[in-house]
Parts: sequence; structure tokens; C-alpha cells
Amino acid sequence: MSEPRHTLDEVQRWMQAVVTHPGGPLAAIESPGTPLPISVSPAQVERVIARSQALSSLERLDIYYRAYYARLLDCLREEYSVLAAALEAGLFDKFAVGYLQSHPPGGYTLSRLGARFPEFLAETRPARDSAEEGNADWPEFMIDLARLERVVNEVFDGPGSEGLPALDAARLQAIPRDRWPAVRLVAAPCLRLGALQFPVNVFFTAMSKKESARMPEPGAAFVAVTRRDYSVRRYELSVEQFTLLAALVEGESVGAAIERLVAELPSAHEDLAPRLREWFRTWTAAGFFIAVSLP
Amino acid sequence: MSLPPRLGYPDLGLGVGLRSTHFRHILSEWPVVDWFEVISENFLDSQGRPRDVLEQVAERYPVVMHGVSLSIGSTDPLDLEYLAKLAALAEQTGARWVSDHLCWTGVAGRNTHDLLPIPFNEETLAHVVERLRVVQDVLQRPFVLENPSSYVTFADSTIPEWEFLSRVAEEADCGLLLDVNNVYVSSVNHDFDPVEYIERVPHERIVQFHLAGHTDCGTHCIDTHDGPVIDPVWNLYARARQLAGDVSTLLEWDASIPEFAVVHAEVQKARQHYRSSDDFRRGGDSPRRERGLRESGRTSVPGHPAVSNPVSFLMPDPN
Repeated sequence: MSEPRHTLDEVQRWMQAVVTHPGGPLAAIESPGTPLPISVSPAQVERVIARSQALSSLERLDIYYRAYYARLLDCLREEYSVLAAALEAGLFDKFAVGYLQSHPPGGYTLSRLGARFPEFLAETRPARDSAEEGNADWPEFMIDLARLERVVNEVFDGPGSEGLPALDAARLQAIPRDRWPAVRLVAAPCLRLGALQFPVNVFFTAMSKKESARMPEPGAAFVAVTRRDYSVRRYELSVEQFTLLAALVEGESVGAAIERLVAELPSAHEDLAPRLREWFRTWTAAGFFIAVSLP
Repeated sequence: MSLPPRLGYPDLGLGVGLRSTHFRHILSEWPVVDWFEVISENFLDSQGRPRDVLEQVAERYPVVMHGVSLSIGSTDPLDLEYLAKLAALAEQTGARWVSDHLCWTGVAGRNTHDLLPIPFNEETLAHVVERLRVVQDVLQRPFVLENPSSYVTFADSTIPEWEFLSRVAEEADCGLLLDVNNVYVSSVNHDFDPVEYIERVPHERIVQFHLAGHTDCGTHCIDTHDGPVIDPVWNLYARARQLAGDVSTLLEWDASIPEFAVVHAEVQKARQHYRSSDDFRRGGDSPRRERGLRESGRTSVPGHPAVSNPVSFLMPDPN
């Protein structure tokens, strides 16, 4: 019985390197910059991979190379379906291939494949003066869209409040008025808040419904994303609502959160009481909070 | 010592792979289906609707867990966190058994999310058997190993695939998930006789069959799981049933997925092959001869590479 020419580890590291090389197996083998654990020339690949009656060794390796990028691109297009639909054909794939090369997948699940895609887009964004003429803001918009889509996907399959008792308005109304400032609200585990540079939510909704939509003008926008009965819901927020919610989610008491709101946004003080009542009614109905704690 | 058929595990009948595109239909209609197979990785970390759907399905149907990331052939260490999650999910769903593929998916901390083949030799055999023993110790549940389809073979292979698979199963004492379509696809790609493969594996260890469609690219076939089962594969299935008896059978359909009734009807065709299995030898062309006639159902589309589909990525319309 003959000994294998190569160890299993050598074969696997070699094969992984050549089928995931962006230029394909031949480019990997010919590239002096690609360190490979098995040194063979293109004419010697049969020392590792046997040929079939119909295909050469390199042609057989190409099947895995094509599948690697095609499969992972499919996954990213599905994970970022709104972003993919918003970008020109081919542009999404260009970004996605770059992402896969800089963040090759590891671990057992594909659900985290695109976890760092928004950050990748932000780190590699084109300079404003090299962006499309007349549309210099599109890279920032694209990054906002990717961030929102990632949050939506995380909320969809992350921890939720299903099965937990709902916090109803009656529970809040039963709290004596003088104790309200000390109340702390426990946010639903699926509640996520976002501050964006574009009002992407309306655009996101339209694209999700496969309707046409134009890129909005830049402008600060705030959104809450949460989940009820396994359905993801998005809520547009004012800057006042966002500021108050952010403080509450961080664990500040209602009184301290309101103080922070007024300190950061003095104009919020006007007619605040009726607005607060309305906000809390809406947020309770939307399931933003699941419990209250009284000291 | 002779082994009982299916190693004593139940014949669950004719099952269908649970796919997100069918969630609404299943939850509203609760169709009459013998059992469901789920892709383990799609549910391991889910705390949302996919996990809720799985729990509802597992309350009403027998469930089997089918994985794609065990990477039993890799030289990387086994992922013990992953194994612990598999064991926990199997416990929670009452999975009848857990299966994965005779392959590796990545090395050096990477995962290609493909089912990559291994050289069939004594070194690899010992490596895989040792790891399977660990897996079974952790899972404490029947483990079943599937033959993947593959597109390369190695110069360092010294053992036929059927023999390697058989020896692994026997030495690690695990079950086999015989994917009949994969036998066919690999037989085309590697120029071996699929009937010999079917006839030589240890039939009493076959706990489950897989069926699926594939794509004929002319020079090779790719396991795309995107259409009906072709006749040569049904013929191989008939032969396998003749040898292994009543064994749980599941249809995989992972791309261009039609409505649930179509998928279910496709696996129901297996019943016709229960009856015809006795006629296999009189049935005219053997699968090997039919294979040469290129009777495959679908051909590849220019510009769109056919992609083997071992992974069902679950992202069901969260928007």
C-alpha cells in the first residue's frame, strides 16, 4: 500500500486556498503571492486532483471555485435584498465579493455571513468626489440602508418578547404620578434604535414591496425596530422621541431621561406633558417595553 | 453479529425537507406528511420565527435534523460549541436522529459552506472514524452519515468511495444516509458504476434515503436540488429499497422551490418504486446505461453556473 503524497491537512489547506482564490484555481497556482502548502505547477495539478474522463483536474476544481462565490453571493443578496435591489446590477456583487475576500466566512452558520457588511461598506466607501456625478451622497445612503437592513434581520431572528407578559397601559396608569420620575422601563430584548443620515425607512418599505422609490434627500432620521408576534416592525421617530427612548433603553429612570431630553433639546420642553403621554401610549402598544421597575 | 434493519431505528415513511418558503402553508394547512427533515444550522441560533415554526412542526410531526457544518473530515478541531447546540436542539425537538455529510467544509478557521470531498485512504479513514466517535459521544443520539455528491477525486485516494463509506460506518458504528441522487451524480463525475455502489454498501446500516434533482452540465452533473428526481435515480432507489427494505425516505428541493403540494407529490412517487423494486433486474436499462443516454431532467443555463445546493439559507422575508 502506497503512502499518500500529501497529508490530509496539506490537501485541505491547498484546496481551500485555490477554490476560494478570487481569480480561481489557475490564478492561485500561478500566483507567486499565494502561499500554498502543496507546490505544483498548473501542469502538475493531477498530482493532487485526479482528472475525470470528461474534465481536467483544473476544470474540476473550477466547479468548486464557481460555487463558492455564487453560493455566498446568493446568501448576501438574500440577506441584503433591499440593498441589492437598490443598487445597480453588478454593483452589489462587486461590493459583496470585496467583502467576502476581506471577511471570509468562518463558523458554522450563514446567518452571520453579512454581519460586518455595513461596516465594510463604510470603511471602503468611495470618496465623495469620486462618487457618481450629481449624486455624491449615494455611498452614505447605501451604508444607511445596509445598517437598517442588518438591524431588521437581527431583530427578525434574535431574542424577542413573544411568550413574555405584555406591559399594558393599565399597568402604567396604576403608577402614582409622584413615583413616575423614579420608574425604570425594561425594554423588549428586540428593541433597537437607529440614528441615520437619510430618511431611509420609507425607501426601505417601498423596496421591500418591490415598488420603485427614489433616493431621499439627506437629513437626520431616527427609527425604532422591534418585533411583535415574530413580525418585524419599524417606527419612525422624532429626534425628541429618539433621545428619550435612548436614555430609557440605557436604563435611566423616566425622570432622568426627561431631564436628559430637555438638556439636549431645550425646545422639547414645550407642550412636553401631553406629548409624553401620547408617546408612552404608542410605545406601550407597540411593545417597546416589557416591564417597569419601581425602586 | 447480524444487525437489525436500519440499525433498529424506525421507518418514518416519506418525508419532505422543511423550507421557509412553505412555512405559511404548513402552519395553516398542517398537511398530511409522514415526517420533516430540518437543516440544523438554520435553527441552532434562531430565537425568532424559524425556531417557533420548528417547535410547532416538531409537536405534530416526527423530525430529523440534517446538518451541513459538522465538517467531520476537516483537520480543524471539532467545534464543541456547535456540537453542544446540536445536542440541545435535538433534545428540544425530539429529533429521531442527527445526520451530516462525509466531507469537510473548511480548514484554518474558515467555512466555505460547501461540502468538500476528502481523499479516500487509510489516513483519512482513521481520522474520520475517530472524530465520529467523539460526535456520537457528545450527541448521545443516533448519528447518520451521508455520502455527498462531489466534483473532484484525489490522486491520494486508494479506496473506492462505497468501500470507504462502508468502513467508516462500520468502524465508527453509525448509520448511513444513502443519498441516491448523490451516488448517481458522483458516478457520472467520477466514472464509477452506481449500481455497484448501491449493492456494496452495508444495507442494514441504511437509516435514511435522500432523493433530489440535479443539473446535467454535459461534462458533469451538479447536485442542485432544483427539480424532480430523474428516472435513473428512481431506478437506483428501487434497487436500494430492494436491498435495504423499508427505510425513511426524504426528498430535498432547495432551489426553484415549487409550492408544497408539488414537492410532496414528488416524494410520493417513491411508492411506485416500492412496487417496482422487485422488477429491478428485469427493468431493462440499468441506471448506468441510462446515465449514458443523458436522460437528466435539467441542463445548465449559460451564464448561470449550476451551484450544488447543500445549504438552505434561511432568511424568510423579515421585511
